Amino acid sequence: MLLLCSRAVHRCRRAYHSYDHPKSAGPFNAAEEAILAAAYRQVPEHGFTDAALAIGAREAGYLDISTNLLSDGAFSLIQWHLVQQREALAARKAALFADDSSDPSAVAARVEALTWERLLGNTDVMGRWQEALAVMAQPSYIPESVKELAMLADEILFLAGDVAVDPTWYTKRASLSTIYAAAELYMTTDHSPGYFDTRNFLRRRLGEANEFGSAAHAIRQWVGFTASAGLNMLRSKGMRI
Amino acid sequence: MASVAAAAIRPALRWALRRSALSNCQLSRTFSSTVRQSRAPIPDYATPNPARPTHFGFETVTEAEKRERVAEVFTNVAESYDRMNDLMSFGWHRVWKDYFVSSLNPGFSPLTPGLDPRAPQHILDIAGGTGDIAFRMLHNAHIVNGNPDVHVTISDINPAMLTVGKQRSRSLPASQQAALSFVEANAEDLTKTKPLSMSPPSTTEADITSAIPDNSVDLYTVAFGIRNFSNIPAALREAHRVLKPGGVFACLEFSKADKFPLLNTIYKEWSFRAIPLIGQLVAGDRDSYQYLVESIERFPTQEDFRDMIVDAGFVVGSNGGYEDLTGGVAAIHKGMKPRA
Repeated sequence: MLLLCSRAVHRCRRAYHSYDHPKSAGPFNAAEEAILAAAYRQVPEHGFTDAALAIGAREAGYLDISTNLLSDGAFSLIQWHLVQQREALAARKAALFADDSSDPSAVAARVEALTWERLLGNTDVMGRWQEALAVMAQPSYIPESVKELAMLADEILFLAGDVAVDPTWYTKRASLSTIYAAAELYMTTDHSPGYFDTRNFLRRRLGEANEFGSAAHAIRQWVGFTASAGLNMLRSKGMRI
Repeated sequence: MASVAAAAIRPALRWALRRSALSNCQLSRTFSSTVRQSRAPIPDYATPNPARPTHFGFETVTEAEKRERVAEVFTNVAESYDRMNDLMSFGWHRVWKDYFVSSLNPGFSPLTPGLDPRAPQHILDIAGGTGDIAFRMLHNAHIVNGNPDVHVTISDINPAMLTVGKQRSRSLPASQQAALSFVEANAEDLTKTKPLSMSPPSTTEADITSAIPDNSVDLYTVAFGIRNFSNIPAALREAHRVLKPGGVFACLEFSKADKFPLLNTIYKEWSFRAIPLIGQLVAGDRDSYQYLVESIERFPTQEDFRDMIVDAGFVVGSNGGYEDLTGGVAAIHKGMKPRA
């Protein structure tokens, strides 16, 4: 019965933040969480593999065969990592931003800080992350992976205090998703101390997005103004528009 | 006068009924385990009752009658069973079975430094008469995963099907034959199993029964069998009893393709028109194959069957607990017995 409920919740999981609805449950039930939490500790040694899952299941007091509960196998372990890291961001926000002011001008800086924080969340499993990206790119797992990426972008923008509800809601999330995915891939081959190169890469990409965003905004304003001025001029000439 | 007499004996009748209900309870208690006693009481529908109505294809019969008639069907089709499966599904049942076994990955047991952590695995293949699933399990465990410490017990209620499986197993490597055993048992009550004997049973041999103990099985599989059971909830509870905590129940069964109307229409046409005809031509037995397609039609939907599995005490995966194959023509359900 409990599982039925969790499935229903799972189905109506929202991809955005709401102040009016309770937080939806994660994608895993209690038994799955026990196995995954133990298996995740095996990742640095065994990677995101069935072997890590089986050893984790053993440590959690289950059998090798119990991993069959996780229908996506190794991908479930990757999903576990993604969900854990995403949910941990909210707690790290307090440490990142001492002042809790929601100054709109600081949103861009906050987005950068949060994205960087999330990228650092991959450092423990960095040696295995290329494998994980390869698994996530398998056709049957792409929908879940993209959904998780969208939820991450939403989480970052929400925590950064972005409250815009105009069409930029979509463009911001889309561009942040793209930048995050690119930076994550860049990071897997980055050997600079403290991932210095990745940090610069991220900064450049976000800067470009902001520039492009403001340029697009300026063009849109100009087009809008010219169109309405032209329309008014035609009306003043007696045209019935 | 008669009504007065009836009124007089009514309390006595009621008492007798209550007595029989009580003794039924005690009967079920004899093979219930300590684990089960600590759980919620077994609902009435999950206790086998030979007189309770159930369905046999589109007919309604009693549980006892269904058991007999299913036995008759499978005794009739045992010889031609594999050939018919190929003809009916264009060989596709092999793909389903291969996928079923490889997704379960029996025998997979990674080594860790230090002591060998691997424990022997015991697989119980219910309704596995002709060995289709069991032989694949052994191949996957012994050859693909290189783990010889995997034993498969093939259980079937029907000795005719088991005999076919036993004969087919002769072509397996000796090491795999040694890891196989055949027992005759009713899946609703695995406390009474009888090893398959190839010679006609003598009176002493026929009485030898042994139980599959509680918490002794790693993996319980049933492929294309569960819809023939007289009492599915009872069989699920029996699966729960024999499985170790953490053990997995896995079922491959025909299901509903309602999500794809076009596929469903073609599939229904094929199954109701062609399959009984093929049965008549190839196996010379139309009725058995008519039953086959009707029983598929009567089997619960993916979600309802998943709920039955949960009801029996299993934990199912959070993404629904089942996986459709070929658009839902068949489906794999998996459940894990939670740790106490």
